[in-house]
Amino acid sequence: MNIKSVNQMISVEGKLSLRNFMGIFFSLFFPSLMLILFGGIYGNEPNEMFNNHGVLDVSLPAYSVIIICVTGIMNLPLAMANYRERKVLKRFMATPVSPSLILFSQVVVNFLLSIAGMIILAAVGKLAYDLKFLGDFWPVAFAFVLSTFASFSMGFVIASVAPNMKSATAIANILYYPMLFLTGATVPLETMPDTMKKIADFLPMTHAVKLLKGVWLGENLGDYMTQIYVLAATLIVGIIISVFTFRWE
Amino acid sequence: MVIEVEGIYKSFGDTRAVNGISFEVRKGEIFGMIGPNGAGKTTTIECIEGLKKPDSGRISVLGLDPWKDRKKLYNKIGVQLQETSYPDNLKVNEICKLFSSFYSNPVPYEELLKKFDLYEKKNAYISKMSGGQKQKLAIILALIARPEIVFLDELTTGLDPHARRSMWGLVRELKNEGMTVYMTTHYMQEAEFLCDRLAIVDKGQIIAMDTMENIFSKYAGDEVISFNAQMSDADVEEIKKISCVNNAEIKNDEITVYAQGTNCVSEIVMFLQNKSIGYKNLRTRSANLEDIFLKLTGRNISFEEEQK
Repeated sequence: MNIKSVNQMISVEGKLSLRNFMGIFFSLFFPSLMLILFGGIYGNEPNEMFNNHGVLDVSLPAYSVIIICVTGIMNLPLAMANYRERKVLKRFMATPVSPSLILFSQVVVNFLLSIAGMIILAAVGKLAYDLKFLGDFWPVAFAFVLSTFASFSMGFVIASVAPNMKSATAIANILYYPMLFLTGATVPLETMPDTMKKIADFLPMTHAVKLLKGVWLGENLGDYMTQIYVLAATLIVGIIISVFTFRWE
Repeated sequence: MVIEVEGIYKSFGDTRAVNGISFEVRKGEIFGMIGPNGAGKTTTIECIEGLKKPDSGRISVLGLDPWKDRKKLYNKIGVQLQETSYPDNLKVNEICKLFSSFYSNPVPYEELLKKFDLYEKKNAYISKMSGGQKQKLAIILALIARPEIVFLDELTTGLDPHARRSMWGLVRELKNEGMTVYMTTHYMQEAEFLCDRLAIVDKGQIIAMDTMENIFSKYAGDEVISFNAQMSDADVEEIKKISCVNNAEIKNDEITVYAQGTNCVSEIVMFLQNKSIGYKNLRTRSANLEDIFLKLTGRNISFEEEQK
């Protein structure tokens, strides 16, 4: 493995990602469009339901979970399943570099994409609605990275268990939409009845929403240990399942 | 010998894909493996390429064990896999650049693109290329490694006859440049045209292996005689008893006779006259690989392809 191959592979995967319209639209622009749309509908007046924050203040960190669901649960497993089905992974096996380089590059590119999506979302919030960032940088960065890798880990499980592209697409969609609507990423958890809240707690990304929302609004990481444990467990279990079940062809 | 294969077996579940195959490939030759789909050609080539581990047996490629020393081996061999496609949204020069980065001393890919007539396509998306152009790209990516042996697995499957012919020219070119070529195909014509030595495989075993010349003289006999006539099965059995006849078969009213030796046409004509069987459309041709396959297995290789 040499550094030239790593650079080339990341650059190739980056170009492929930029040429994938759906992936780019849903990770970079869709969350910002949601923010603009709901800002136009509801405004951002302080509301008791959200601890006297405005609905946009709490929505912005929640929308960041939309980004990492797209990169982790859609982009990543679909690219892997596609490469496997079309024997691209196998072709890379027949070269002096390790085929895991392609997985590594996918992770790097989707991670950069997630960060870019987050920056765009924050910038749009600031410019359009002058949203205030009440948290500290490092706790938010930690929460974001942990949530992102938990999502990637689920993506790798999908890529590992799906026998082909068709089923990978099906599984990704089946996971993606509940993650979108039931975790609080789009519909605030606070507005849900208790039963729904309980169901939501079974979805790992609900904990990403809670954690990111909390630290974004200035609360301590220590108040969200449950969330951190759930996400860390998701990450580790996902990696273990993938390591044992991932097939190169 | 650049490749030595000794008694390899490989099963997938209950199916035995490779059932005891041994052979050698000499430096600088085009070695071909031919047989119907599912005969074990691809499993064999992938074991030799280090992509699959045989259940038992020994393989040596350029003195290396392809399974244990695979990463070292991939600096010395070029591989074209059956049915691989490359990411559609990538451009030709981008994938070439990527593959160049894998090797310490790659062949400049622009040279290869020029040689293979793809230079003007270098900024084109892979998805916009024809089947023939994609296969050319597959060869280019195999050659970037500066390989001593090139593996081509069903290079021309799915190409139109014109594109197939032009691929044949390129494969010959590789040999002229001193590379050893190991290829699989299920086109008899392709094997006849390209291969110096050939192994015919069926059901995971080599059923014949030799130079093209020897294979023909050993198995095909000299000629194939066919004609149309109304004959009973009993008549056909009698034709088989004529000394110069290797085999005969009837399909509707068409009789095909595989013959060896001299004066066989007149012996058959005499037989038909004695029996007062009217015949027409009598023709002869030299035997080809399809006849050999038929003779060795009792099955028709092209017929099987059609059934798939």
